[in-house]
Amino acid sequence: METIAALLDATGMAEIVNAYDWVWPICEIFHFAGMALLIGTIGFIDIRILGFGKGLPIHALERLLPFGVAGFVVNTVTGLVFVAGNPIGGSMAYLENLSFQLKMLLILLAGINVAVFYLTGIAREAAAVGATGDAAPAAKVVAGASLVFWVGVIVFGRLIMYNDTLLYALGL
Amino acid sequence: MPQLIANIAAGTTAGAESGLLDAMESSAFATWVRESPSLFAYTGMLSLHAIGLAFVVGLSSAVALRLLGVAPEIPLAPARKFFLLMYTAFWVNALSGIALFAGSATSLVENAAFLVKLGFVVLAVVNLRLLKRFAFDEAGLPRNGEPVPAVAKALAVSCLVLWSAAIIAGRLTAYPGLLGKYFG
Repeated sequence: METIAALLDATGMAEIVNAYDWVWPICEIFHFAGMALLIGTIGFIDIRILGFGKGLPIHALERLLPFGVAGFVVNTVTGLVFVAGNPIGGSMAYLENLSFQLKMLLILLAGINVAVFYLTGIAREAAAVGATGDAAPAAKVVAGASLVFWVGVIVFGRLIMYNDTLLYALGL
Repeated sequence: MPQLIANIAAGTTAGAESGLLDAMESSAFATWVRESPSLFAYTGMLSLHAIGLAFVVGLSSAVALRLLGVAPEIPLAPARKFFLLMYTAFWVNALSGIALFAGSATSLVENAAFLVKLGFVVLAVVNLRLLKRFAFDEAGLPRNGEPVPAVAKALAVSCLVLWSAAIIAGRLTAYPGLLGKYFG
């Protein structure tokens, strides 16, 4: 963890954030917009797979995915600015923050979930379901998990700045 | 509240507004939101506000993108049901927003970015209702393969613009003084 922190701190991002007070808020704006794009596309497909909005073919909704991926990329870049450019406590303050750690864990789980979806053939079966059809239980489990993980990412993302509240609630 | 009553009794309306805001801010509920160490208080309201934002802005943006030509194979008629989710997400944000507002009412009414944000949210919601009417309700609904009417496309563009503006102003609410420094 010290190695990662040293690498991130060596980027000099903190000096940029300190020198230009608009960098942080602008990255936050993009981080929120990216979040909405990700939820609006991936969440849209998840909700349809779960059975809401029948009449929408799942394979057609998947055409929206590049926008969700774009949102994820935007948030990875702006997220790196936050961690590497943290003016108070450096990147270590993020890496040691329980809310941040849980957020990263949930992103990892969401990634594994996507890999399971596409590598096991669940996605292919779901895409083959007709416009008004019902997706297989396995696809519903993946879609439900996806929604839970991404909503969790939002919650723990918001908690990063209020990590003490989480620690207090957990009795830590 | 007593201050408000005192002001009214004294026949002055000058302090009425701030009296009401003071009363709101010092109410038991607002104090709980602001000061309780519970995860459901301030952080819970903030989390709900972010989740609601993601769903109302995200889903309406996805629909706007479809109207603008992305993924034309998505049929419009069944997508209409998703407005229910958008409105639900909006109400989550209206309620969590009221809770967050109550917690710091007196400073927020003097925050220009916050007032601008409220304006954009109102416009975005009106826009969303118009979008539903002109692109999804019986008469306006283009059949499969039919081109999307120009009015629906224009509303899709304004949907994206208004939500973006609301997010920008909403974020800048946390930085009072920043706008004034550069544009003041």
